[in-house]
Amino acid sequence: MVNESQASGNIYKQTLLAGLWRENPVFRLLLGMCPTLAVTAAVKPALTMGLCVIFVLLCSNIVVSLMRNLLKPHLRILMFTLTIATFVTIADLFLKAFVPEMSETLGPYVPLIIVNCIIICRAEACASKNGLAVSIIDALGMGAGFTLTLCVLASIREPLSTGQIFEVQVLPDGFVPWAAMSMPVGAFITLGLLLGLVNAVSKRKA
Amino acid sequence: MDTFNILLMGFISIVIVNNLVLTKFLGICPYLGVSGRIDMAFGMGMAVTFVVTLSGTLTWLIDHLILMGTPLEVTRYVCFILVIAGAVQLVEMYVRKFFPALYESFGIFLPLITTNCAILGLCLFINLWEIDNLLEAVVLSFGAGIGFTMAICIMAGIRENLNLADVPQCLKGAPITLITAGILTLAFMGFTGMIR
Amino acid sequence: MLKIKYFAQQSWLLIISSFCFGLLIAIASAAWSPRIEQNEKDKLNKLMKELITDANHFEIAIEGVQIPGRKGKVSETDIYNVLDAASSRTGFAFVAVGAGFADKIKLVIAVDSRCEKLFGFKVLSSNETPGFGSKIKEDYLGKQFRQAPAGGLELVKVGNAEVVDSQIVAITGATVSSEAVVDIFNTYIDKIKEQLQTKGLIGNGK
Repeated sequence: MVNESQASGNIYKQTLLAGLWRENPVFRLLLGMCPTLAVTAAVKPALTMGLCVIFVLLCSNIVVSLMRNLLKPHLRILMFTLTIATFVTIADLFLKAFVPEMSETLGPYVPLIIVNCIIICRAEACASKNGLAVSIIDALGMGAGFTLTLCVLASIREPLSTGQIFEVQVLPDGFVPWAAMSMPVGAFITLGLLLGLVNAVSKRKA
Repeated sequence: MDTFNILLMGFISIVIVNNLVLTKFLGICPYLGVSGRIDMAFGMGMAVTFVVTLSGTLTWLIDHLILMGTPLEVTRYVCFILVIAGAVQLVEMYVRKFFPALYESFGIFLPLITTNCAILGLCLFINLWEIDNLLEAVVLSFGAGIGFTMAICIMAGIRENLNLADVPQCLKGAPITLITAGILTLAFMGFTGMIR
Repeated sequence: MLKIKYFAQQSWLLIISSFCFGLLIAIASAAWSPRIEQNEKDKLNKLMKELITDANHFEIAIEGVQIPGRKGKVSETDIYNVLDAASSRTGFAFVAVGAGFADKIKLVIAVDSRCEKLFGFKVLSSNETPGFGSKIKEDYLGKQFRQAPAGGLELVKVGNAEVVDSQIVAITGATVSSEAVVDIFNTYIDKIKEQLQTKGLIGNGK
């Protein structure tokens, strides 16, 4: 009895931590790159996008996990897509109603969460095969990993391009901002270098 | 003549100036995945062009004929993604029946085009830019596909040469591709302001 | 009959879940759409208040004014009455759109109640080059429009930015963006003045 609950406790911890580092969706699985590059010009939109993704991932994993025994194999991708589209619409309406400046900054990238590979992949790989608890933990882990990645990227790009994080000045006044960081160039190069760094670190650990 | 000018400007703008991959960050996943070899890149580009033209047109029609101005407007995203999924399904069946060899070489990519951000992204951008005639929507969708094909083929050409270069181990694969894409973006930035 | 039964068997989940999702979206939309509309109105109001300090609220003065732009494209805008706390008119305001360097520039322009002097402009949306064209949002350009004559503005590359007259000094390194702003003013002001005179809201001529 004790061993069983210990084992299941371990699974939860493992699943949660996997999303954060070992199977980090952006750095290791290379999924969800489009929003990563697009919204990380500043930390506030990055955080907002991360929270939206956590919400949609959680809801869709819950619904798919509850439905998993009723799904017909050739209709399942359609069901996943429908579920995800619904929750993204709700998230978009919420943003428009309560945080309109963020809704404007994020613009068309909020509905693009529908085609964010992370959510469909987790629905397919995890939620449709596992129970409710594991699916929830997996959603939280992956979502947290994604949000963390976005914030790390944004906290490199924002200070270098405007000298501020979250509208708080962090670099000395004499710093000449690198305008390139707020443009697509900065996004691609920063992500590429970060990816290289993560690869180097995990290679040394392994 | 004026309409033709507007269409031509729109086409050039979306292929070069507002290239979907390099300025709007759409379609990065297949961009990184398929740009290994030029022939695969070209095939993927052509498939995307076909699907995006079809979906761009269909979603514009549905948006303007059914959704706009009605309470159903809030289901826009759901409708768009369903139309796109349907279009991809259609293309897959068509390719499987008439070009089996091409279908074999595509493998997993064709169904993956559904989750290609470029397609849904383009439909949403057409909606955002408030394009109000059908011809312009068709030309823009086609242009988006051509722009994607162009970007991915350029990247494939560069990557084939990169294979022979001495890239540090930790940067091999996705990182160096991203850095190259960043430099490409810088190059394409020179085209801004070409269209007034 | 068999076909229908087969069809129903395969897709009952799809149909039922579509219903449920549709219901969810409808509820969210009904609950939040008044807030969303209010946010849209508030955004415009806030910017107009920044332009005209004693403004209290706004009313539509003339709707659907047609402005012929370049290349024969006609854009439409509404003219707002800017009223102060005592409900007397302090000026007019309208939204103006024009082509900028990279993308469309959307401005909110305010003029005084006789349409003779400008109160200035605020940028609603623009996508200009960060660090260069984005400077149109800053004070250097904005200040030169305050109390400038309404109409006949001219862009110059060198001059005294402190003197308020119909000469607008361009931002260094952002000539095209500055030109775009002046163009928008010139395109719109004449038409707006004409409309206001026709509707008798301002006097005719001197």
